[in-house]
Amino acid sequence: MKLNPLTARKLKRFRALKRGYYSFWLLVVLTVLSLGAELLMNDKALAVRYDGNWSFPTYADLKLGAEYGLDGEAARSPVNYLELRQLFKAQGTGNLVIMPPVPFGPFENTAYGGILKATPPNAAQGHYLGTDSTGRDILARLFYGYRTAILFAAAFTLLTYLIGITIGCMMGYFGGTFDLLVQRLIEIWSNIPFLYMVIIVFSVIPGTFSISTRIGILLGILVLFSWPSMTYYMRTETYREKARDYASAARVLGASSARIIFRHILPNTISTVVTFIPFTVIGAITSITALDFLGWGLPPPTPSIGELLKQGTASLTTAPWIVSSTFVALVFILTVVTFIGESIREAFDPRKFTIYK
Amino acid sequence: MRLDTYMKMRHLGHATAFYLLAMLAGCGSGGGQADNSGLPARDNTAEVQEYYKTKVSIPPAVREDLERGKITQEELDKRSAAGEFPKFFRYATPQDIPADLVWEDGSDLPEFASPEAKKGGTLHFWIDDFPRTLRTTGPDANGSFRPYILDDNAMLFARRHPNDTSIGPSGFHYYPGVAEAWAVDRANKQVYVKIDPKARWSDGEPITVDDVFFTFFFYQSSYIRQPWYNNWYTRSYTGVTRYDNLTFSIGMPEMKPDVVAHVLEVDPIPAHFFKELGDDFPERYQWRFQPTTGAYVVRDEDIKKGESMALTRNKDWWAKDKKFWRYRYNFDRIYLSVIRDTPKAFEAFKKGDLDMFGLTLPDYWYDKLPSSDPLVQDGYIAKAVFYNQIPRPTYGLWMNESRPLLDNRDIRVGIQYATNWDMVIQQYFRGDYTRMRTTSDGYGEFTEPTIQARGYSIDKALDAFAKAGFTKRGPDGILVNDAGQRLSFTVTTGYDNLRDVLTILREQAAKAGLEFRIEVLDGTAAWKKVQEKQHDIQFTAFAVSQEMYPRYWETYHSVNAYDQAFLPDGSPNPNRKPKTGTNNLQAIAIPELDRMIETYRASGDAAEMKRLAFDMEKILYDDASFSPGFVMPFFRTGYWRYIRWPEGFNVKLASTANEYWLAWYDADMKKEVEEARKSGKTLPPMISTYDQYRDQ
Repeated sequence: MKLNPLTARKLKRFRALKRGYYSFWLLVVLTVLSLGAELLMNDKALAVRYDGNWSFPTYADLKLGAEYGLDGEAARSPVNYLELRQLFKAQGTGNLVIMPPVPFGPFENTAYGGILKATPPNAAQGHYLGTDSTGRDILARLFYGYRTAILFAAAFTLLTYLIGITIGCMMGYFGGTFDLLVQRLIEIWSNIPFLYMVIIVFSVIPGTFSISTRIGILLGILVLFSWPSMTYYMRTETYREKARDYASAARVLGASSARIIFRHILPNTISTVVTFIPFTVIGAITSITALDFLGWGLPPPTPSIGELLKQGTASLTTAPWIVSSTFVALVFILTVVTFIGESIREAFDPRKFTIYK
Repeated sequence: MRLDTYMKMRHLGHATAFYLLAMLAGCGSGGGQADNSGLPARDNTAEVQEYYKTKVSIPPAVREDLERGKITQEELDKRSAAGEFPKFFRYATPQDIPADLVWEDGSDLPEFASPEAKKGGTLHFWIDDFPRTLRTTGPDANGSFRPYILDDNAMLFARRHPNDTSIGPSGFHYYPGVAEAWAVDRANKQVYVKIDPKARWSDGEPITVDDVFFTFFFYQSSYIRQPWYNNWYTRSYTGVTRYDNLTFSIGMPEMKPDVVAHVLEVDPIPAHFFKELGDDFPERYQWRFQPTTGAYVVRDEDIKKGESMALTRNKDWWAKDKKFWRYRYNFDRIYLSVIRDTPKAFEAFKKGDLDMFGLTLPDYWYDKLPSSDPLVQDGYIAKAVFYNQIPRPTYGLWMNESRPLLDNRDIRVGIQYATNWDMVIQQYFRGDYTRMRTTSDGYGEFTEPTIQARGYSIDKALDAFAKAGFTKRGPDGILVNDAGQRLSFTVTTGYDNLRDVLTILREQAAKAGLEFRIEVLDGTAAWKKVQEKQHDIQFTAFAVSQEMYPRYWETYHSVNAYDQAFLPDGSPNPNRKPKTGTNNLQAIAIPELDRMIETYRASGDAAEMKRLAFDMEKILYDDASFSPGFVMPFFRTGYWRYIRWPEGFNVKLASTANEYWLAWYDADMKKEVEEARKSGKTLPPMISTYDQYRDQ
């Protein structure tokens, strides 16, 4: 696909700004890695060789002990791969268990010293950031929580922009009564306090819904209350573009409204819309973290950054590693996204590259 | 205009302004007992007198017929009007009191408070939410603030001795409160009470039999919106008789082993305060402090909504020198700050803004304030563990049998085997707590001694689930049946502080193929959900009162499970709906159990009641809808050194440190602690374990 030379120049400029460029790649790598989080941090083994046969438990159905020759109660229970690895090593018959780099998942409780409590970072045990107040690995919970947050933010941004840009553009292009009506609607709508709505809706939906449904509902509510912010910008931009000569020229030539909007006006306005994206992402991550911190977000035991922060602040003096690692991680993510945002803004600065088509 | 007219007008203006201001001032909340609700005044004296004249006492058998639908309300009213039943409120003279009564007054019992207690000082403590009302009954009244104005404050006619818990001929031993003496007449099923002539309400009015009569009017009326009280005060008593202004007797349908408790633990209600009792009871009395028999009152100026609440000691309390009540209620003021977040309250305690803090949870006792903490080692803050012996709150999983899948006993048994309470107790509560065994632990000889709760066993759980048709595990390890249904239930709780318990249980249950979806709600929302019987499984506990024997009717009788549990022929009614607003959280409806409960309720023989209780526990064990959780055999407190306690620290029946208000403020010690902190001087650490009442 051949890029518009204008866009190509913007991208080249973006590449030239090293800080933002590297941050961008860092974020991409982290996100791609988090998509495969189960391969990096999991209590399920990556690969098991038993009796000469290889099996890969990570994405397969849950395996019971009988498959690996365990008997008694363990035969009917889910396999504990760490224990299996010890067992195979002790047996020495050539059976092998290969665990992910961090051999803990975000849900299992491990008791050290017979007690479930927060333990400090211990590389020998495999807990690189320590455990939380019920013995769950913090690094695993952070990573899985990051995945939820970034995917949520991506979905949120996509949906908000789609709705916001469309309606904003329509308001600007059609103007008149339509514009007036929708503007009044938006004014009323944006006055509803979104946090209360989230709390109310979440307390009403039954607990029988699965986690993914609940994330979906949360996404829906947040999008519902955030799309108006995009319309303001799009509306003014569209009004401005609509008044330009090239738009009138296109109309004179007989172009339909749709063609004018999508082919002529939108490309000119969208390039600046791109500069808003990183900040919307930041907003989404912060919102979901804040909701989880308050307890109004995802239900326990879903791993999330907000929930770890909540635990961390409740145990500031007794387990400072919880809050410090979570805080650093959160600040790191937000800083990376901010750098990207600033670079995009620099690179896509309209004043340097506005051209009329 | 003329000068004099002008001057008159000016004066008129002043006068009008003055009157307007006066009216405005009058409209504001007047002090003391004035009605600050803004509602029009009313007087219910006529209604109350009419009630006393006409109320009849319905025998329990007839009442049960009414509940079961065998007779209608109109039929009953006709029979009452025809004079078939005796009157509830009766008038007699002192000559009618039997001469051979044995009057008891508890004077032989030992005092339990410390004579070294000094009056004075302010206790700074906290509550997690501002009380929704000052009423002691009605909507929203049973919150965390109620103990301060009712449970731990009101004297009642007499109180159970908190250390001597032996059972005598008339039940437990009582020390006098509002009563001076009492006597039991088994033959006529009456308990006679003489009110202490010195007894006064906190507003100075004397306590008389008028208040006793009114107590029944109050608790039997629908104005207070408490159907449980209505039921209790109608069903448990056959009538009240007045002999003179200070002597009365109350009749009961059966002479239970603890008959004395049913009368002496009545909380008298001030008739003069509730002259305006009516349909608008909740609104009218929302923020009016009810005159109390106890030591602490709430003044209007101390109600700072959303911020704090304070109780002030009534310096003219009539019982301040009365045996068993002196040396208690020592603080001049109890200042309760509203702190919504427990960790925040803990930090306030360490700073010294709060004088005491509950350390029963393990992470507070071991991690947040360990014995090695400098404040403890320097002797400024003391830590104490006190083992008590009381009926235990029923922490556990309550399964709603009216829900699909949970109506299958095999599934319930499987859930019991799949719930790893022992891991929670050993690893999360660090072995300090113990496993609850029955539905009624802590009742001494009335607790079934042999039943052991089911322990965690993946094998047994899988076997039980297999019997119910759940044999295959799905891709995520959760069992699925042939119809494709997953073995998954929502576990709801209102205890945010105990959410970790549920996450641990969930992980362990998943190993046995059972999924618990955890739902943590705000306390009130969770309670509402379970009262509406909308829950699958609820993690909750009933605070049980310190009675002699456990109650079974409220929680296990079918009349509290469904609106119409059985058809007249005894078979289950296919169209039955769970009854809301009752304590039967499991929707248990077992005819055999019903019969045993009714016999238990009607019995007056302790041996028979014990036998029935034990048999009922076995039935409940088989029914498997309550998974017993944990028992806290103690409470733990941290307090600043200047809060002093009696030598044994507390009493056997105390479930919290301040339930009996034995502590006092030592001003000299406070100075000492402050000076020591400033100069860096240390005092000997105080870390104590009080196990003189430990349950073995």
